[in-house]
Formats: sequence, C-alpha cells, structure tokens
Amino acid sequence: MTRKSSLTALLLGIAAIGVAGAAFVAMPARAQSDVVASAMAAGTVGEQSDGYLGIAGSVGNDVHSAVEAINIKRRAAYTDLAAKRGATVADVAAATGCQTLASRVKPGQVYRIGTGAWQTKGSGPIALPSYCANAN
Amino acid sequence: MSQDREYRDEGRMDRNTLVLACVAGASLLLGGCIQVKAPDKPIEINLNVKVQQEVVVRLQKDAQSLIENNPELFPE
Repeated sequence: MTRKSSLTALLLGIAAIGVAGAAFVAMPARAQSDVVASAMAAGTVGEQSDGYLGIAGSVGNDVHSAVEAINIKRRAAYTDLAAKRGATVADVAAATGCQTLASRVKPGQVYRIGTGAWQTKGSGPIALPSYCANAN
Repeated sequence: MSQDREYRDEGRMDRNTLVLACVAGASLLLGGCIQVKAPDKPIEINLNVKVQQEVVVRLQKDAQSLIENNPELFPE
C-alpha cells in the first residue's frame, strides 16, 4: 500500500512539475534546445555526469527555464527506459551521462563530473568516472 | 659419598634438562601450528560498486539510442 501510494505521489509530482514546466515555458522544444545550444557554446550550460544539464555560469531566465524544461523531459525519458530495463532512473541517467561526456561534449564546452567543479573540455577525451567503463 | 651425591645431582640435572627440552619441544610444536580462529564479526563483501558498474555498462547501448531518438533533449 505504501509502495503504491508513494509511487502515485511520485507520478503526481512528476505530472505537476511537467504541467508547471509547460505553463512557464511557452517555448517550443526546438527553440528550447537552440537556446541551450547557444548557452553551451558560450560555456554557461554544460552536461553533467548525472545525465542532466547544469548551469555553469550566469544565464538569463530563458536559458534557465529551457534547461529545466529539458531536464524534466530527460527525466521522463530515463524513467521510461528504467521501467523497461528494470533499472533505477539514476542508473539510466548515469549511463546517459557517460555517453554525453564521452561523445557529445565538444572541445571548449563545459562539463561536470559528480559534484566537482565545472571543467572545460580540451582536445583530448574527458576522463570518465570508472563506472562508465566501455562507454563507447 | 660426596662423589655419589654429586653423581645424583648430575642425574637430577639431566632429568631437569629433559623436562625443559620436552616443554620447549611441545611449545615449539604448538607455536608451529596454524591457528584458525573464527572472526568475531561476520565477513561482509561489498558488491554494490561492481553491480552498479555492470548495470551502467549494460545500459550504455540503450542510453545511446535514447540520445539519438530524442535529439531535442540533447542539444550540442
């Protein structure tokens, strides 16, 4: 009973966040990712090893809400995959974080591993956390 | 008579030496044994890190597809 009710509460919570996100961000998904892409190029937004986007510098409200909106959608996608594979959302998110750090962050863009400091990617590959073994 | 006593003393010393040797031998034998003693606390083997790594490695391909199928969630 407690498990089911807490699951329901969680789903309601996620739905509420989704509705709130949709209400605040009247931006289409395409524009959201464009805004975030520019911020990533500017080094104010970056990928994190936890599978989510993070804010590394000072950004405007539009960037802030676009990052939040994308992270909410990512979490929904991670939750779906986790349910299909019988894994935790955190593990799916971490596996995705390995992938983004290994192959999507470009030189000059910023990234963060765990709760460490933001770093700028150089010309070489990012030193991934050990649990990312065989990320490529 | 005194000579006889001396002889007996010598005999006693030999017995003492023998006893000493026996004790020494016994303790050597005991000391040479490998002592197997049950530990006081249960042995714990922590497999969490390994398990998490295997799960994450197993999910890499899925994660890759997830990124490819949702390009709007993964701006570059």
